[in-house]
Amino acid sequence: MAQDTPKKSKAGANKSSTSSSSHLNVELTIDKVFMKYRRSESGPVWWGVFLAVCALTAATRFYNVGEPKHVVWDETHFGKFGSWYINRTFFFDVHPPLGKMLIGAFGYMTGYDGTFPFVKPGDSYDGVHYLGMRVCCTTLGACLVPFAFIIVWQMTQSLPAATLASSLILFDVGLLTLTQYILLDPILLFFIMGSVLGAVMFHAQKHRPFHPVWWGWLVFTGFMLSGSVSTKFVGLFVVLYVGLHTIASLWELYGDLSNPLSLVGKHFLARAVGLILLPVILYCVYFYIHLTILCKSGNGDGFYSSAFQSQLEGNSLYNASMPFELAYGAEVTLKNARTGGGYLHSHIHLYPEGVGARQQQITTYSHKDFNNKWLVKKWNEEPGDWEDDDPTELVKNGDLIRLEHVPTGRNLHSHREPSPVTRRHHQITGYGENGEGDVNDVWRVEVVGGEEEEVVKTVIHKLRFVHYLVGCALMSHNKQLPKWGYEQMEVTCNPNVHDPNNLWNIEDNVFPNLPNSSFEIYAPNFLEKFLESHTVMFQGNSGLKPKEGEITSQPWQWPINFKGQWFSAIDGFKVYLLGNPIIWWGNLVVLAAFVFVYVYQAYRRQRGVSDDRQTKERRERTMSACGWLVLAWALHYLPFYAMGRILYFHHYFPALLFSSMLTGVIIDYLLESLPSLVPQYLASSVYPALTGLFYSTLIYSFYLFAPLAYGMHNLDPTFENSTVHQIRWLDSWEF
Amino acid sequence: MDAAAGVRNRKNKVASQKTDKKQHGEKETEEHSDTLIKKSIEQLKHLDEKINRDSGDGESAPDTPPPETAPDDASTASTDSSTPKKDTSSPKPQKKSKMGASTAMAKAPPPPLELSLRLDGMSITLFLLSFVTRVWKLDNPKGIVFDELHYGKYAGLYMQNTFFFDSQPPLGKQLIALAAYLAGFDGSFKFDRIGTPYDPLVPVSAMRVVPAFFGSLLMPTIYNIMVELGLSHYAGALAAFLAIFDNAMLAQSRYILMEGILMFFGLFGLLCILKLRRFYHQPYSLPWFCCLIVGAISLGACVCVRYFGIFTLLLGVGIMARDFWEMVGDRKVTERQLFGHFLTRAAIFTIIPITIYISTFYVHLSLLYKAGPNDNIMTSAFQASLEGGLASIISNQPVTVVHGSQVTLRHTHGRTCWLHSHDALYPVKYQDGRGSSHQQQVTCYSYKDVNNWWIVKKPDIEELVVTEPQEPIKNGDIIQLVHGLTSRALNAHDVAAAVSPHNQEVAAYIDYNVSMPAQSDWRVELLNPEHTDGYWHAVESQVRLIHLNSSQALKFSGRQLPDWGFRQHEIVTDKIIDQEDTIWNVEEHRYTRSDDKKEREKEILRSEMIPMERKNLTFWSKLYELQYKMLFNNQENVAGHMYASEPLDWLTLKRGVAYWISANSNAQVHFIGNIVIWLSGTLALVSYAGLFIVYLLRRQRACYDLSEGAWNKFCTIGEVFGIGFAVHYFPYFLVDRTLFLHHYMPAYLFKLCLLAAMVEHGHDLLAGYLKAPRLAKIYLGGVGVWLASILSKTKTLEQVRCWVLGPQPSQVIEQEAVLRHETRLISHHLLV
Repeated sequence: MAQDTPKKSKAGANKSSTSSSSHLNVELTIDKVFMKYRRSESGPVWWGVFLAVCALTAATRFYNVGEPKHVVWDETHFGKFGSWYINRTFFFDVHPPLGKMLIGAFGYMTGYDGTFPFVKPGDSYDGVHYLGMRVCCTTLGACLVPFAFIIVWQMTQSLPAATLASSLILFDVGLLTLTQYILLDPILLFFIMGSVLGAVMFHAQKHRPFHPVWWGWLVFTGFMLSGSVSTKFVGLFVVLYVGLHTIASLWELYGDLSNPLSLVGKHFLARAVGLILLPVILYCVYFYIHLTILCKSGNGDGFYSSAFQSQLEGNSLYNASMPFELAYGAEVTLKNARTGGGYLHSHIHLYPEGVGARQQQITTYSHKDFNNKWLVKKWNEEPGDWEDDDPTELVKNGDLIRLEHVPTGRNLHSHREPSPVTRRHHQITGYGENGEGDVNDVWRVEVVGGEEEEVVKTVIHKLRFVHYLVGCALMSHNKQLPKWGYEQMEVTCNPNVHDPNNLWNIEDNVFPNLPNSSFEIYAPNFLEKFLESHTVMFQGNSGLKPKEGEITSQPWQWPINFKGQWFSAIDGFKVYLLGNPIIWWGNLVVLAAFVFVYVYQAYRRQRGVSDDRQTKERRERTMSACGWLVLAWALHYLPFYAMGRILYFHHYFPALLFSSMLTGVIIDYLLESLPSLVPQYLASSVYPALTGLFYSTLIYSFYLFAPLAYGMHNLDPTFENSTVHQIRWLDSWEF
Repeated sequence: MDAAAGVRNRKNKVASQKTDKKQHGEKETEEHSDTLIKKSIEQLKHLDEKINRDSGDGESAPDTPPPETAPDDASTASTDSSTPKKDTSSPKPQKKSKMGASTAMAKAPPPPLELSLRLDGMSITLFLLSFVTRVWKLDNPKGIVFDELHYGKYAGLYMQNTFFFDSQPPLGKQLIALAAYLAGFDGSFKFDRIGTPYDPLVPVSAMRVVPAFFGSLLMPTIYNIMVELGLSHYAGALAAFLAIFDNAMLAQSRYILMEGILMFFGLFGLLCILKLRRFYHQPYSLPWFCCLIVGAISLGACVCVRYFGIFTLLLGVGIMARDFWEMVGDRKVTERQLFGHFLTRAAIFTIIPITIYISTFYVHLSLLYKAGPNDNIMTSAFQASLEGGLASIISNQPVTVVHGSQVTLRHTHGRTCWLHSHDALYPVKYQDGRGSSHQQQVTCYSYKDVNNWWIVKKPDIEELVVTEPQEPIKNGDIIQLVHGLTSRALNAHDVAAAVSPHNQEVAAYIDYNVSMPAQSDWRVELLNPEHTDGYWHAVESQVRLIHLNSSQALKFSGRQLPDWGFRQHEIVTDKIIDQEDTIWNVEEHRYTRSDDKKEREKEILRSEMIPMERKNLTFWSKLYELQYKMLFNNQENVAGHMYASEPLDWLTLKRGVAYWISANSNAQVHFIGNIVIWLSGTLALVSYAGLFIVYLLRRQRACYDLSEGAWNKFCTIGEVFGIGFAVHYFPYFLVDRTLFLHHYMPAYLFKLCLLAAMVEHGHDLLAGYLKAPRLAKIYLGGVGVWLASILSKTKTLEQVRCWVLGPQPSQVIEQEAVLRHETRLISHHLLV
């Protein structure tokens, strides 16, 4: 890693200028390079610094990238998802598909065959081609540093600021850890930074509108935006950011009275196409690929509706054929239409004493089972009364029916007794013998949005079963029964008829007298599948709530680096995700300083104090760059306070990127302002001295905390003097 | 019909008043000489009245009999000093007097103690009109209506001095309780179900008149705010009119509910802050201070009614900050003065609300000194400070924990449970294949139980009885805890806990003669040793038990054990000591007298209760604890309530709430707004946003459609009403609770004001910008029709909403068409 990076040269300049005058010649040349660096005028210096930063990035990121040779943290999920793409097995996840698809693609391209099960963290990768996936993810993660360099350069036109900002990202141990493994985060961060880069570069092309390069950056931004949204939904924040950025620049164009309105309209349209239409189309394309690739039945089927499942190879509904219409005497299974709803189920066991009437239990059960079968009967006739040649009678919307549990011959029954778990609802039981029950067995079938007298149809109709006497509706939710109910889901009769959990659909429908027809024509098209996957995803996301008593990470803990996250706790190679505290705490201090400076400047402006033009210009450029960065930070951080779902430490990292860039910009601004504030004889040395101090602190802290990312070996808790124990600065850090 | 006629009258009156105002202005110079004489007389009077100057409405006659007392409303707005009406309208004159005095000051060199009284006929009319609609048949229905269930119950508990826990602050409840107290309520009525008929002893009317009164004061406040923002008196009256004839407002302020009170305090505070703008050039004058202080009091009171009022407070502070920022731009004000202004405002707006807040809690806690139904949420120390309840159990127990003490250890914060053990072992293998120590389970159990008793023992003393002399346990001492019934010691060791494998398991030690040695020593770490001289006291001391061998703390992990652990909660030790779940306290306590195991068991199984005095806990520690619990205790949430609604539904009035349904007739009270107003309000909101964007776009292209004054007015409307709506509405999207339509009311009020302002803006546009007086007239006609339709809707809905004691079933069915979505719900109810 020993190369002549600009930092080294600076440090050297610093040393030589203060030490002696014997190497005057050398000193002069170094000073010249140094001034070139500060004034950011020379192309070669820019490229030199940029390449050096890239080289350092590559060196830190790819060092030890194959270690540890076992499954680390969430690799267990994302590796698994990758395998499923390779095997084309359908699954369910709360995130959009692009990130996982990319992981699958990386694996496929680098020779991974999708057979490794990724059961749990710590499983050894013996003989698995996992390295390709890791290297690809790491590469995307490594792009963050040059991206930051270019963004800050474009925003401030200051080479030192760009170097500072990118090195803050380069030397953060947390980012290093997070972007080294097969996770969604390197991909997400890559797309987020890419979007911002695109927006900034696009903005820089404003002197040549509608030039091919201009279009190029516009499309690039749109592509990156689509990538970040399709990796995780938090990518929406960057969309918002780019949107605001675009609105601001359009507003400026629009306010310039020399621009005719037609030109502004053209600008607007171009951006609408590039930044809205294109990402939306790409997003749909990713989903299309996702739904096309995953065509085999897997463990995610149960979350989806019956119609959706009928499209998956290997699912019991695949290529199934059954009557469309429901007739009296048919044997059916009923599925709760709620996402992840189970099948209406009964078994010979009774409700225990003290839990309502001691009648047969009714539950919902997620697996397919003989006990899920129900016979549809008229409310006043038994099926045995019918002759074989009687005309088939169809069940219509609003009909009164009874449902008989086929294996036990008991009818679906409800009465005014509290339900076992949800006490405000009525109990549902199986009642009667061989289909003979009482008047409490009668239910009215309602088709949601159906016309009067419409025939009830299999799969596609959502049904509501309203108890005729009590007026409540058959309902199931995700509350489990206690042990006596085999922890199946509770079924109740809900007095609130319009509850969304009251809806059911018929899944299997067996009736020999009606012609069977294939479900192919009812197969959902792409749009329906697309919409359904989204409802399922959103429900899944909002369902990720912390359980009672579970300790979750709180957003206030993140910026202060309060607590990290174990990545690998296997003895011999421990990895702990934790930010470099120097950088993180420094970011906070700088943020506070920025707020203070900003308020002070606003106050001065409001009071009408004016400065000379040059100072003002420099300050305004810095302030606007800082303003945008603070906005990006806030957009990526503050919304987490409003989220009810379970949160993790690594959710802070997108915000951290912006916070670090802000620090770079502000520190550069301060360093440039300082020489004019100190006495003359110090002025020339204060800049190099402080720069040197800054970089050496950064590098030293990286050296100190690097073991957290590169793996801590053979930690012995008794050995109190080991480095790792010395860097445990906070009690809440768990290593 | 009556109502419609009334409105027409009122409109005339508005008109007449307006013209009169003008005349008044013209007359002013003529009257000047007259008033001078009067003023000098008054001056003399005031010298006498110096002391009770502030009470305002006293004897001093109004200087110019307000001309707005037009003959047609002489009955309502009779402003002569000594009419009986004075009582009801007393807050108004007080406020007006301030205003009057200030205007006088602005005009001429004011006499030092000048006080002029001017009555605002419009305000009084609005108040009376709305008060009449609110109190008419106030005691009807004679049953518990919706949340009266809670608030009535709380009032009753205040009467009986019984402690209750509610996660909202107490001011509103106290006001109702005060009314109930004055009416002689003894609190004996049980509020058990919505719809239960009231006992004749319950002073329903007296309790309901409190919200009705505040709800009526709201109307003049709305009117004045509108006027204060530079809108016309018509617009102000229109806004108040809409608020009066909205069914939802009416229903919300007729019953024992908080919204009427909340909205009044909030808006009145805002009014004061807006009035402050008038006194920009007379800082630190009496009216300036009055506005600031009354505003702070009112907004503080608003927060004390409901925590949601904090948003109104923030809005007020925001408006003030904005005004201050403008003052910063004023170069005539020196930096020193700016600093002074900043300090004064900051001081008034922190000290006063906090004082009010704390004093309501002071009243709350000093009134409620008896143990009550929600005690369990509070810590032992808090419970012990209440009369009866836990105090009666622990009253005669010894204080200092010594060697040989029998104690129950309660998990102090969060979930209430006691350290527990029972004769069952950890399973040898868990489901995930991990092994356990197979020792006796230690859990946290949420009910009182004989198995919650532990005996404190010093490691070096064998006997379990209390020694002579006693060996008190100090902070830092090493102890063992022996389970009372099974005599096994509390033990922790390096075995992963059952449900939280990253923590150590805690068990009651069984000596299996295997490699597992006893590690049953614990160090006592008191959190508040200074209160007890370093000794461990029952109830009072909060303690952490640190396991000696591993330096980890005994902790309630929050997770439940599976069936083998009887679904009790898991106990572990944790490396992170400084957390809340590691805090315990001794609740019940007695000394072991007998060393015989049988005797001891008998002693434990026998429990005795002798009622005794409560223990004292300082107000501050009680307040601190109550606050903590109120803010962080997540109360159980009634999910899927039949009448629950989502914030988005509120915009279109998708669902109301059935407040009360008669058991034996079709009558019901249904909380639902006036659909015409409601939808117009939403429309106004959208059109404001749309117009704002259009204007902004035009201005950016240097097309200034509105004059600077009109544009500023338009912006001010948005700043106050638009942002007011936003801060009272959008936070609900983040709330993770069951919401009802009535949560929307504060936001709705701002929407109403915006609606009235937009109606005026429309007229201004037509008359001023388009210069089309005919169109403007037609527009006014349209507004008239619109108002008529509002009234007609009010009438039809009223029958459903209120005082329908037994209409014909057919009538109800007719209503269904009106009620759109609710129809099915209602008819369903009527059928049941």
